[in-house]
Amino acid sequence: MATSTLDSVLAGLAQDKATGSLRVGRNGTIFLTRGRVSYAECTGTPNVEELLTASGRISANAVRKARQVVSADPDPVNGGDLLVGKGVLTRGELEFCVLGATLDASFFLLDTALDTTGARPGPRSRFRDGERHWLGTHWFFDVPGLFRECRRRKARLDRAWPSTELDTQPVIPVRRIPGRHVVLTAVQWEVLLGADTTATPAELARRLGRPAYSTLLAVRELGAAGLLATRVEPAAPSPPTLPRRGDRSGPRAELRPGSGQDAAEPYLPQVSADPTDVNLLIRLRDALEALQ
Amino acid sequence: MIGIEDCLSEAMTIPGALDAILVDHTSGMAVAAEGVPYPEGSAAGLSEAFRATLDGLALSTPDGTIRIEDVIVTTDRAYHLIKPMETMFDGPLLICLRLDPERANLALALRRLQAISHRLIAS
Repeated sequence: MATSTLDSVLAGLAQDKATGSLRVGRNGTIFLTRGRVSYAECTGTPNVEELLTASGRISANAVRKARQVVSADPDPVNGGDLLVGKGVLTRGELEFCVLGATLDASFFLLDTALDTTGARPGPRSRFRDGERHWLGTHWFFDVPGLFRECRRRKARLDRAWPSTELDTQPVIPVRRIPGRHVVLTAVQWEVLLGADTTATPAELARRLGRPAYSTLLAVRELGAAGLLATRVEPAAPSPPTLPRRGDRSGPRAELRPGSGQDAAEPYLPQVSADPTDVNLLIRLRDALEALQ
Repeated sequence: MIGIEDCLSEAMTIPGALDAILVDHTSGMAVAAEGVPYPEGSAAGLSEAFRATLDGLALSTPDGTIRIEDVIVTTDRAYHLIKPMETMFDGPLLICLRLDPERANLALALRRLQAISHRLIAS
């Protein structure tokens, strides 16, 4: 099993309709119920408990108590039902939170498996038959569906800002905005407010009680809008000197050409081998041919 | 209190309902759908429509902040309702309902959606 990739391991478990937990190296764990993914957690993303408590939805005490009840009971009770039964959470909230945390963790856990070049070997995985998460099973993803969604999310992220540069760097808002007026989403606001120039997107996510993916997306959107300090300019013709991160002399960060409202030079779209672009071109060609 | 699947089946009992879909607005993912032929495409499109509405209205509102209760779009063939449900831990969940204008009552549909959303998410 040690040499097989994570996607083939998961596909095998799905085929066997396995129930248990799959530990993915030291990165996290994927829980399966009868061959479908029912929960996942990753060391880099907030888990259900953290999402619920850090966002202030329920108290850490309520979670601890429910967990104690589950571990004390010889019969495997379902921690999620316990929380819903006590009225601290609605069923919809529980399901949505489990679903959100699972997708969030999967996005980062399956990252190596999504890399189709196969250049990076995935971490070792170990399956424990029958092990369940204390919250119980509240939502399912079939394995191909989960991979599809992770791929879609990756594309969504690249559409916002096609560079991974900001992903692991501390988030540093620019001191002056490249315009007079900005529109922010709720998560973008929280990110800007939480940014202390040392926290990375993943650390901010945990602090804010927001999924790591949502936080990352907000960070990339802020980057695209020219609201964050960046080190390199993705589409620029090699600027001679770049103000350093934290450089006091330069309040303006580098901006992507065309992102400001009155950019003087015309902005050319980046050339990419993105399959969605290629598909679009193929569809365009087909449509033009159909016209003749 | 109801779960995600019940929420959709209840939405489908609203008079005139043609199809319903629940969308995670942050990622544009179809969480669950009923009667929708291409949930993934619909989810992405509805999520973008909602985002554009939010951005456009935020710019045109004097105080600059905006909280949408419902988006109502009437087309030549249907009524489209989009209702955001705020959650504490992630961006809103959108419940999107397409209604047959011949059979539907907009006011009733809005009230019913409101009631359903309150039972799905309490916060």
